[in-house]
Amino acid sequence: MSEANLNEPVDVLIIGAGASGAAVAWSLADTRMRIVCLEQGDWMKPSEYPTNGTDWEIQQHGPFNIDPNIRQRDTDYPINNDESPINVVNFNGVGGGTVLYAAHFPRLHPSDFKVKSLDGVADDWPISYDTLDPYFNQNDRMMGVSGLAGDPMYPPKQPPLPPIPMGLVGEKLASGYNKLGWHWWPSDSAIITRPYEGRDKCLNLGPCTSGCSQGAKSSTDITYWPQAIRAGVELRTRCRVREITLAENGMAEGVIYYDEHGNECHQKAEVVVMACNGVGTPRILLNSKSSKFPDGLANSSGLLGKNLMFHPVAFSQGVFEERLDSHKGPQGCCILSKEFYETDLSRGFVRGYNMQITRGTGPFNTAIQGYASGQIPWGPDHHKAFQRRFDHVASVAVLCEDLPELHNTVTLDPELVDSDGIPAAKINYTLSENSKKMLKHGVDRAEQVLAAAGAVEISSAELVQSAGWHLLGTARMGADPNTSVVNSWGRSHDVKNLFIVDGSIFVTAGGLNPTSTIQALALYIADTMKKNLANLFD
Amino acid sequence: MNKGNITTDYPLTNAQRNKLGCLLDVLIPASQDGHMPSAGDLDLIAYLQAKAMDFLPSLIALLDGLDEDFTTVNFDERYQAVKILSNDEPGLFQALIYQAYAVYYQSPAVLEGIGAAAGAPFPRGNTIESGDLSLLDAVLATPKQYRKAPS
Repeated sequence: MSEANLNEPVDVLIIGAGASGAAVAWSLADTRMRIVCLEQGDWMKPSEYPTNGTDWEIQQHGPFNIDPNIRQRDTDYPINNDESPINVVNFNGVGGGTVLYAAHFPRLHPSDFKVKSLDGVADDWPISYDTLDPYFNQNDRMMGVSGLAGDPMYPPKQPPLPPIPMGLVGEKLASGYNKLGWHWWPSDSAIITRPYEGRDKCLNLGPCTSGCSQGAKSSTDITYWPQAIRAGVELRTRCRVREITLAENGMAEGVIYYDEHGNECHQKAEVVVMACNGVGTPRILLNSKSSKFPDGLANSSGLLGKNLMFHPVAFSQGVFEERLDSHKGPQGCCILSKEFYETDLSRGFVRGYNMQITRGTGPFNTAIQGYASGQIPWGPDHHKAFQRRFDHVASVAVLCEDLPELHNTVTLDPELVDSDGIPAAKINYTLSENSKKMLKHGVDRAEQVLAAAGAVEISSAELVQSAGWHLLGTARMGADPNTSVVNSWGRSHDVKNLFIVDGSIFVTAGGLNPTSTIQALALYIADTMKKNLANLFD
Repeated sequence: MNKGNITTDYPLTNAQRNKLGCLLDVLIPASQDGHMPSAGDLDLIAYLQAKAMDFLPSLIALLDGLDEDFTTVNFDERYQAVKILSNDEPGLFQALIYQAYAVYYQSPAVLEGIGAAAGAPFPRGNTIESGDLSLLDAVLATPKQYRKAPS
């Protein structure tokens, strides 16, 4: 390595500029430490998001696909999903997964942190909902969250912005839930419904999962990062970290990364913070081998990369006689139900799921998906079948809690590498019997509510393959170094100046979209670091 | 298909062009009420030249594989021929469907015909009903509450 590629040492080095990296950078910025974040992707330009063009639906199948193996940007890294029924989906760039997420923004429930105590399964978290409550609130304000106070399924909370419109889809399904006497509530969404912090409100464009041209969806490139950078944090894009280096004293020394020209560079730091999600973080740590850590850095427990949790998703769609304007409005966010969220052993499984009402797709995706499913044929019957479905559908996504299992893993692929030659992640994942029963139960209930709402035709898929958004548990937190990778505030048990702030540290997954909780955790960890600066490594 | 726009770099022969028009008319015929155009009324070739040049050689091979009388037989016979094609060449046929649907469902005339706004969604946006939040009264009337947990 040449002298030129040795950067000035920094105080804090954050790896990854997504949901958690942005939050921790912003929070730590007020310490006035020198903070650098390395991000392998680019800054995104809202003017280049698909909804700026007429081919917005086509682009979702290519450069804005949620699956990195299909998207294949040079800033992506490949993922071997061959041994998993669920494919990992993500985005690599400033904002990370929040660039393409649906922006569903529920918090985990109090019970999610104590499943061992309550249900005798998995483990309790070393922290509680109450620990995170102030950080949930802080994060809601920073991101800009819309919702409606008063949901009886949560402790009291007040989203800063009014809820996104239910639309005809939400109203229709709400009537179905009411007929059955089941819980529902407008979704908490990281989408602003009024002008907020210099951003304009949602225009109901529809496809949030290909980036928001309006900037109403709260991705961290337009929420946390501008403030963090103004406060002095340096964000370097197209910098792909290969490994964390270890000093002789057993502390993290810094990282080796490749810059945008493929040059190998070294960045030293007093503190290293991992924020690369439940696949990216174990990938880098497993690739950081040394004589002291031959199985990967901070892996004396042997748990790094193990206990991978997704949220298995089932999907039911109903066709309605009435036009529901389904393709308008935030596609993934509408209303949701917690009716089957908590354990009821009479159902044949432990823990539970939430049901998220989603809107329909645009014209092209309606036609092409209808062709694939056989519901919309080509030929003389095309128009009739198309018009029966387009703008006439509502869907229920059943999002199940996944329990940690040692055999569900992220490892380094022995052959597959990224464009810099860094080993790719390999996923080994098996759907548990508990999850299978939960998915089946969820599909049955989804079909029941669609029928109650008046659907005249219902179809379901018991497992959606391209739904591996939520990457959790692969570097779990805990008090015992033998059974966890980091402590209760994200610090590695093994390497005292190494922190993990992303979804890797989840002990259990809950049955809800995790971004709100991931960011609250990152803020909590940053705050704890600040309170302990004088003895951070003790 | 834009039949009046044949230029020197137009990649199809007249015979191929005629076959393509008939093929697209089978995939998405015009609606009987005249409300919706046929896929053959749209310029798939121009779209492919702009967006998916890689598919052109496959398309030409597919057209050359159709019988010469494909353009002269009646609709039912063409439909049967396309059915056979879809069975014999499923991958190629699927790619053709993808491209044909892509150009069709971006057409302003088609979008207006199905009741959707033409053009890019942004910055136009959409208006949707806010929904009746009084429907929540039924939820609030139940005694359900979140599950308490130890701190």
